[in-house]
Amino acid sequence: MRVYDVMVRDVTAVTQDDSVENVVRIMATQFLSGVPVVTEDMRVIGFVSESDIIRAAIPGYFSLLQSTTFIPDMSQFLKMAAKLKDKPVREIMAHPPLVVNENASLAHVADLMIKHNVKILPVVDEHGRLLGVITRTNIVRAAMEGYL
Amino acid sequence: MKVITVTLNPALDREFIIEGFAVNAYHRIKTQDHMVMNPGGKGINVSMALAKLGVSSIAVGIIGGYTGRVLLTELNKVSPLISTSFVHIEEETRENIVIVDPVNHTMTSINSPGPRVDKKAVELLLKRYEIYLSRAEAVVLSGSLPQGLTGEIYGKMAKMAREKGRMVFFDMIDEYLTEALEICVPDVVKPDVRGSFTVLGERLESLEDYVEAAASLVKRGCKLVVISYEIKNDVVATQDGVWLISTDEKVEPENILGAGDAYVAAMVYKRLTGTSTSMLEIAKFGYAAALAKTKKLTKEMPEYEEINRALGSCTLERLR
Repeated sequence: MRVYDVMVRDVTAVTQDDSVENVVRIMATQFLSGVPVVTEDMRVIGFVSESDIIRAAIPGYFSLLQSTTFIPDMSQFLKMAAKLKDKPVREIMAHPPLVVNENASLAHVADLMIKHNVKILPVVDEHGRLLGVITRTNIVRAAMEGYL
Repeated sequence: MKVITVTLNPALDREFIIEGFAVNAYHRIKTQDHMVMNPGGKGINVSMALAKLGVSSIAVGIIGGYTGRVLLTELNKVSPLISTSFVHIEEETRENIVIVDPVNHTMTSINSPGPRVDKKAVELLLKRYEIYLSRAEAVVLSGSLPQGLTGEIYGKMAKMAREKGRMVFFDMIDEYLTEALEICVPDVVKPDVRGSFTVLGERLESLEDYVEAAASLVKRGCKLVVISYEIKNDVVATQDGVWLISTDEKVEPENILGAGDAYVAAMVYKRLTGTSTSMLEIAKFGYAAALAKTKKLTKEMPEYEEINRALGSCTLERLR
């Protein structure tokens, strides 16, 4: 089975000058864990995920501590988060992005997701233009039906 | 994606087939297939009709709440030829109810107004729309508007499309059409005269009124104008004249749900696939698609072969 068969044909995306606040709004209202970043002709040039946003809002050492108890001053974190919302997406997006072609096999995509620890990937055509997204759930569902 | 369809006020359509429907009475629906739930709103319907004709489209617009999510889930199941990108808001997307009675040949519709849309949602939508314009050949702007929006938005979106050299199709009520025309004139317009019988602020009564209205829109710069005149006649105007398209076939009024959208989709299809086709031929193909749709009770869009068959029973009469 190919990506084409199970992908979600939703081409919701942002451009690199969109604000982080806009991205968070899209992610919150559409229950997405990440959004592709595209050029004016819809070529995918980046991807911004929950992790990218969280990483940009907290001190670098936080991921090692795994608890908010160690943040000495919570107001500093809130200040960083407030500053972040007006920043353009290009400052925090993953670039170049990890993408998959619509004709790729699901086994290949599953492998990529495991290796890079991602939940969602943009699907592109042969010119790198956005066609939709594929999620871990799409793949697990196909596997349960015996189609991987 | 060849076509962008814009649905600013989509709806989750609920169709119930009830024989002998009456108000103030208790009705039990016979079977599951007598109650249909599907994504709706004019632009979405056009996308579904285009998919039947093998044309890919991207459906864009604004949806909200739980109903909006159900609508989107259902729409994503319809065809791989339909991509989506909707701005999500908190207020609920509306539900439209249609009760079809095949015994008494009636169709009762209850359409809700839809949610209130804020400025931010519109800004987000326009930004996405601009990106998608880079890959489209035609844009369909049709249907009602949610609370908080006026016909200006259609004018603005049409202008953006025309500036990029895209073909623009309008299917909307006169209130929106009049406002939108102040900003941009589309290539093809099919004014929605259901209930109001008004075009450019003028009430249409006689056939001559319809002819005059269609000719006025051509004078404003439209290449093709189609106005429904009675249930199975349409007045069609191009820069070459005005015609009446009709048929000898019987049209059941309870089957017209979605016929107007099949009409628009077929015109888009014909325009995209036959660049040398005349505007009159495009209108005729659209009419045939609407006629083919009326052979189906629910909002199921016609196949190419069904449209071709219906073409044989369309007649043209020159009026001007």
